[in-house]
Amino acid sequence: MTKRALQPLDITLRHGRRYQWIRRLFLGFSVALTFVLPLWHLHALDVEGAGLAADSRWAKVAEVMPNTPPPFYGAPTSVWVGVLELVDPLESLAVALFHGLSWNWVWTVLPGVVLVVLLGRFFCGWACPYLPILAAANAARWLLTRLGVPLADVKVPRSTSRVVMVGALVIGALAGTQLVPLIYPPAIVGREVFRAVFYGSLGAGALVVLGAFLFDTFVSRAGFCRSLCPGGAMFSVLANLSPLRVHNERSKCTDCTVCDVVCNLGQSPMTNTLDSGCERCGKCIASCPTQALSWSVAAPPLVQLVTLRVEGVEQKAAGAKAR
Amino acid sequence: MNRRVLIGAIAAATALAVVPKRARANPKKIRPPGALKPGAFEQACIGCFRCAEVCPTNCIRFPSVFSLDQATPFIDTADKACVLCMKCTQVCPTDALVPLKADPDVIAKEVRMGVPVLERSKCLPWNGQGICRLCYQVCPYPEAAVELVGPQKAPLFHPEACVGCGLCEEACPELAQAIRIFPFGSEEAAPKPLQKKGAKKSGGGA
Repeated sequence: MTKRALQPLDITLRHGRRYQWIRRLFLGFSVALTFVLPLWHLHALDVEGAGLAADSRWAKVAEVMPNTPPPFYGAPTSVWVGVLELVDPLESLAVALFHGLSWNWVWTVLPGVVLVVLLGRFFCGWACPYLPILAAANAARWLLTRLGVPLADVKVPRSTSRVVMVGALVIGALAGTQLVPLIYPPAIVGREVFRAVFYGSLGAGALVVLGAFLFDTFVSRAGFCRSLCPGGAMFSVLANLSPLRVHNERSKCTDCTVCDVVCNLGQSPMTNTLDSGCERCGKCIASCPTQALSWSVAAPPLVQLVTLRVEGVEQKAAGAKAR
Repeated sequence: MNRRVLIGAIAAATALAVVPKRARANPKKIRPPGALKPGAFEQACIGCFRCAEVCPTNCIRFPSVFSLDQATPFIDTADKACVLCMKCTQVCPTDALVPLKADPDVIAKEVRMGVPVLERSKCLPWNGQGICRLCYQVCPYPEAAVELVGPQKAPLFHPEACVGCGLCEEACPELAQAIRIFPFGSEEAAPKPLQKKGAKKSGGGA
């Protein structure tokens, strides 16, 4: 029997079960919303008397929806939640690049940015509708490895996502259009679900998601989220102000690498060097056999970075290794 | 750090070279009511689908093929027309569709989705084949946008007063399809002699 590398599915999430369940419930809610909202809206239009639901092949399914109008509008990257407007920071930024700032823009972008600044890159671990697809890719990797299929795991530098982000903004500016919604999985998934429900067909965006799935399965584990996703890059940049982090109590740590392996985003809780790319999924904490990891509030990564720069060569080297 | 900058620079340079000028988004499409000007609209729309989500006639569509404007809504007036409910303008998060009241006067003043172009050679009344008048009957701004002229009560369109909702195009009998709404800036919408355009269009249109 050949020795194979440890994979996330090999690792049991022992501790912090409540946190995991809350996260799964929230994620389930978010993903369910992505699929249920289109049906609900379709039904709402039908109830209104628009009579167009009959055109859709999902009309029968939509009939199970309540007759009241849906409380939310929009796709995962831009949701109207009763009183709050949550728009993806990157897409907002892309709009502001063209149209400048306005009060409406501030009101739409502010709640999302405040959440990310407080909580970090939580969207990626708690709400992104691409996560089930990533889970499927990870499961496929695990299964294929078990069956003896050799799979590559290319470690694309995580800074690539920043290049993708800036590239999408720059090329979009040159082309005079919004590129982010074309390559940003949660935006695509939301749109394609709507399209499927309203028009009964998928568009080209589905191919992008399929490509991301294949990339995550055959080329690099969670590679899209970690190294290519432009929205994730934007969250990471903002999360530099988030004070939340995973603390490793080194005296309890046995250097078993389980936490490093379980992390989809290439963080290293084992060496206590998390950066702003942490998606707050808490799986490292849950997987730690000796419970050495815990949530803590510390100086935000940006402050730490500045402190490191100031404090001298030794710590600067440590900071660089953390990258 | 240096390598990163280099990679970024290479990526940007490649991007500049790869995106040809022709591919730049300059789609001539009928946008939902209240849309910003062509160009500005594509820069403001994030493709969140909310406009289509609330559209009661399902007239707001999204392109299904790969293109730069794949995530921007358009209206296919030949299939489904806009009923000017203005709901889409009120849900747009980025003001790519400027919020408008569903008020006839406001709409008449603010909304210009496209340009009506009548091909008289196909229009029944203009050819003395009947007194169809469907376009006139469905028009939300009769007399202003379309009036009936002559003994045959043939429709005469006034683009300056037309909001471009496409109800006339939707209503026009299929065989004739004499009235069509064209997006601003498109060849067909330009104020030129309609005869030649009509002859050119009839080949592909039918």
